[in-house]
This record gives sequence, structure tokens and C-alpha cells, in this order.
Amino acid sequence: MPEGVIIGGWNYVIAAYSLTAVGLAAYAWSLAHRARRRADDER
Amino acid sequence: MTRRIHWSNWVGLAGLILLLVGSAVGLFVAPPERHMGDVQRIMYVHVPSAWVAMVCYTFALVCAIAFLLQRTERWDARMTGAIEVGVVLNALLLAQGMIWARATWGVWWDWDVRLTTSLVMLLLFAGILALRSFVEDPERRAVWSAVTTIVAFVDVPLVYFCVRWWRSLHQIQSTPDTVDPAMVVPLRLNAFAFLFLAIWMISRRADIERLIRRREHVSEPPPLAIEGGPHA
Repeated sequence: MPEGVIIGGWNYVIAAYSLTAVGLAAYAWSLAHRARRRADDER
Repeated sequence: MTRRIHWSNWVGLAGLILLLVGSAVGLFVAPPERHMGDVQRIMYVHVPSAWVAMVCYTFALVCAIAFLLQRTERWDARMTGAIEVGVVLNALLLAQGMIWARATWGVWWDWDVRLTTSLVMLLLFAGILALRSFVEDPERRAVWSAVTTIVAFVDVPLVYFCVRWWRSLHQIQSTPDTVDPAMVVPLRLNAFAFLFLAIWMISRRADIERLIRRREHVSEPPPLAIEGGPHA
């Protein structure tokens, strides 16, 4: 095994991508929710 | 009757498609890095998050200056959107960085200059959002937000250049010039993906802010009659 090389680590990669997807989706959902609530207030 | 789709929704859709393609290329097509192996694939979401967070803060600075010059609420609404999206991306940036740090440095956090200035950047702009929620007068809220945005922006160039100016555990900026050509494609795809998604989010958030302002105008009480005046 070569020295100084990280073997594996896919769990970290999956964690970073999952966190990014969840974060972006949650914020997009919050925008849609707030927009709908404001639109209801307008009516 | 057909309903026109807002232009920003098309930009958001393009961002989503680019994000899926860019992430797939980054995860399954791009080669592993020589020393970090597959862990380096975190770069394809980490670096675009950093770039676009700083683009959002820069746009917020432009909106803040424009607001102070023109005093129109659309600039305040855009500034609010840009700061909020910047804070979301900044928080994601730190979280992704912590995961990457754990895998490569063996620790979740280090008070390194790049990490510390990035955390300060998050706290400064999150503080502006907190400030907005405390100030009831819309005019005063907008002015205070614009001034504090200009002050907080001082940290943004520090975050970008600190790895060149001071000794840092963090590597220098990852750009198409400093990474292998095979890694440039997913990096560029995801950079545009994050940029397009940020444009969509800022536009949506600015619309919400304008609705809030309109409602505040409607619910404002009529001016009180002055005691002893002609209508008292």
C-alpha cells in the first residue's frame, strides 16, 4: 500500500453530497413554503 | 389560459440538471486524486459552494451600495435574498469542509486562518439577517442592513486570499488552473449549477421580501393627529 494515500473514504464523500442535497432541498422547500404563505396573505 | 413561467424557474431547472450531471461526473467519471483518493471528490461540491457563496455576498454588497444611492426597496429585497442564499451556501461549505477535514487531516475542525475567516463570514452575514428580524421600521431596517453588509464584506476578500497571504493548513484556491484537466469538467459543471440555483433562490427570496414590504405598508397605522393641531 503506498504511503500517505487515503484508501476508501466513500462514506465521507456520500455524507458530503447527501448533506449538500438535503441542505439545498430544505432551503428550496422553505422558499416555496414562505412564498405560498405570503401569497395566501395577499388574498 | 396559459400561465407564463417566471424566467428564474428556467434558470433553477438548468441549475438542477447541471448539478445532477456535474455530480455524476464528479462521483463516477473523474479520476481519484493521487494522495486523497476518492475523498477528493468532495471538492466538486465544496469549491462551488465557496465560490457561489462569495458571489452572493459580492452581489449583496452591490445591492447595498445601490440601495444607499437610490433608496428603492427592490435593492433591499435583492440584498436580503443574496445574503440569505450566501449564508445557506456558507453553512454548507463549512459542513462539507469539516467532513473533508476529518477524512484528510483527522480532525473535524482546526482554527486555521481559512476555516476561521470562513466561520466569521458566516456569523457576520447571519448576524445581518438576525438584525433584520429585530428592526420593525422597514426604512431603518434596510439602511442598517446595507451599512452592515458593506462592513461585513471586508471579510470576503480575506477568506479568498488568506491562503496566499498567511501560512495555512488549507490548500491554495482550487481553480481550473490548479487542478488536473480531468477534474475541471465536473468542477465547472457544478460551479454553474450552484450559480444558477443561487440566482433562482435569490430571485424567489427577493419576491418574498417584496411581498413582506407590501404587507407592512398596508398594515401601517395611519399617522397620528398632532395634539393641539387643526384636526386634533
